[in-house]
Amino acid sequence: MLAGVAGAAALALPRPAQAQAKARGDYGFAPVQVAPGVWLIEGARQSLSPANGGAIANIALLETPQGAIVIDTGSTARMGAEIRAFADQRLGGVVTTLITHHHPDHWFGNAAFADAPLLSLGATALAARANAQGYSDALYALLGSWMSGTTPVPPAPRIETGRQVIAGRGLRLLPLCGHTQADLAILDEATGTLIAGDLLFLDRAPSLPDADLTLWQASLAQLGALSPAGTIPGHGPYHRSLAALTQTRACLAANDARLAQAAALGLSPAEAMAAGPVPEFARLGANPEEYHRSVSQRWSSYEDRALRKIRAA
Amino acid sequence: MAELLMHLLPGGAEAAAQSRELTPEGQSDPFDSGIWPLHRKEFLGDPTDWANDPKVVLLGPQAAENAAHVPFILDATALASGGSRVARIVVTIDYSPIPVALTFWPGRALPLLGFGVKYEGSGPLRASAERQDGSWRMAARFVSAIGGGCTTPAAAHGRPDWQEGFGEMRARFWPDTGRLRVWLRHPQDTGLAAGIAAHHLTEMVLSDPAGEIARLELHQPVEENPAFTFQLPPGLTAPLTIRARDTMGYRFDGVVAA
Ligand SMILES: [Zn+2]
Repeated sequence: MLAGVAGAAALALPRPAQAQAKARGDYGFAPVQVAPGVWLIEGARQSLSPANGGAIANIALLETPQGAIVIDTGSTARMGAEIRAFADQRLGGVVTTLITHHHPDHWFGNAAFADAPLLSLGATALAARANAQGYSDALYALLGSWMSGTTPVPPAPRIETGRQVIAGRGLRLLPLCGHTQADLAILDEATGTLIAGDLLFLDRAPSLPDADLTLWQASLAQLGALSPAGTIPGHGPYHRSLAALTQTRACLAANDARLAQAAALGLSPAEAMAAGPVPEFARLGANPEEYHRSVSQRWSSYEDRALRKIRAA
Repeated sequence: MAELLMHLLPGGAEAAAQSRELTPEGQSDPFDSGIWPLHRKEFLGDPTDWANDPKVVLLGPQAAENAAHVPFILDATALASGGSRVARIVVTIDYSPIPVALTFWPGRALPLLGFGVKYEGSGPLRASAERQDGSWRMAARFVSAIGGGCTTPAAAHGRPDWQEGFGEMRARFWPDTGRLRVWLRHPQDTGLAAGIAAHHLTEMVLSDPAGEIARLELHQPVEENPAFTFQLPPGLTAPLTIRARDTMGYRFDGVVAA
């Protein structure tokens, strides 16, 4: 069953309109209305690269009579500007921007939205500020000229969680964690759409640099209990089912089990990497890169458990 | 190849076979580094009989996710045919501020070693194996790295409690496969970060009651809190002793059951 989901993803091709636009040097986004007043700009199901210009994270826009509520802003100034242009031309401007978490592919387009509130959870704002320079260096190295003119504008932490009405649109703002130390998920009451940030991935391998798998699985249980009518994951397609929840849960558990097994068998991290991802998930977008990254980032915690102390400090 | 253990994970054998870039044979440098002839002369003694050899398997990431911990494993066990054993293996990194990471004398162990290094910038890491007949056989792997490996202070110095765990050693021996994995808490300071003196391991020796099994000479590019994988000969039953020392005269001894 899981293999089927992953297999379908591998067949997904980039939209032709977007491919042509990139040849002209812009993103050429074609936002899609996935539910009434809920617009999605779907990111490429890949790692950051010059081929996708860094447009890998999903951007959601919620319509209100006063303009759009923008959720996440992408990786570059140009990406932010193109999202902003769509909001201005089609949705009557921007009311507020919500940043789901501190990873740079979700907020480095912020400069285009700085004239309205740019909000996040407190820990997200702090982490964004602390990591801004490092992220900027890494994105310039990975994306080159796509980054021109990009300066990080960290979000502010003034967000109120729980049920909020923003410009007439009822939202539930859920302060969760596990993908990072602070992950904001948003349930749109009018349509039952869950905009989950990177707590959910679908057909794209999860990124784990700041993950706490136990907390993440607990957050997934909370999201499941909301019974959303549809989900917008942080990366991957919109779906009117719990496919993203099911797949993310299974993928995290399988990766966890694989690294634990590798360390318990005496493999070195280089061998665990060379073995590649769990076969059922090998064809997810951004694999094997995300699997390799997960070995680098998480190996020591598995090896701590596999080895025994033979000399005290 | 049989000494590497990827096949123990589901899908691992196929994935590893697909991902391995075989080293080309002969004396041409696949990465065309201007510095490689100089390193060969300076660190290997300018041998005339040297060649890249697909029998030396070197696995590592294509991109360094964390330039302070880039993991590799090298397996030169296939070189042993013909009766000439591997005497030592020298690991160098092209264009690193400190090019020699370590030298491994396998002794009674197999010529297989897992280790981690710091990377200052993109470039190849090379494993050069000297056989007892004086010939050298090599493999190399290119890693793209944004940098900040060698000139960044050890992460330990950012933590107020770094001395608390200093010298802790962890290990485990897997008798079925002959694997030994050893981990040691050590800052491995290169001396290249401003205001922090060099402080790194210089040696690690494995032994049993019959004497020395294998020996490592270690330098600054070896990762902070280094971990090593060894492949020991079949039939070891007595406890194994691991001894290490560093530039400041600290000694670290541990015993693991075989
Ligand atoms: Zn993220």
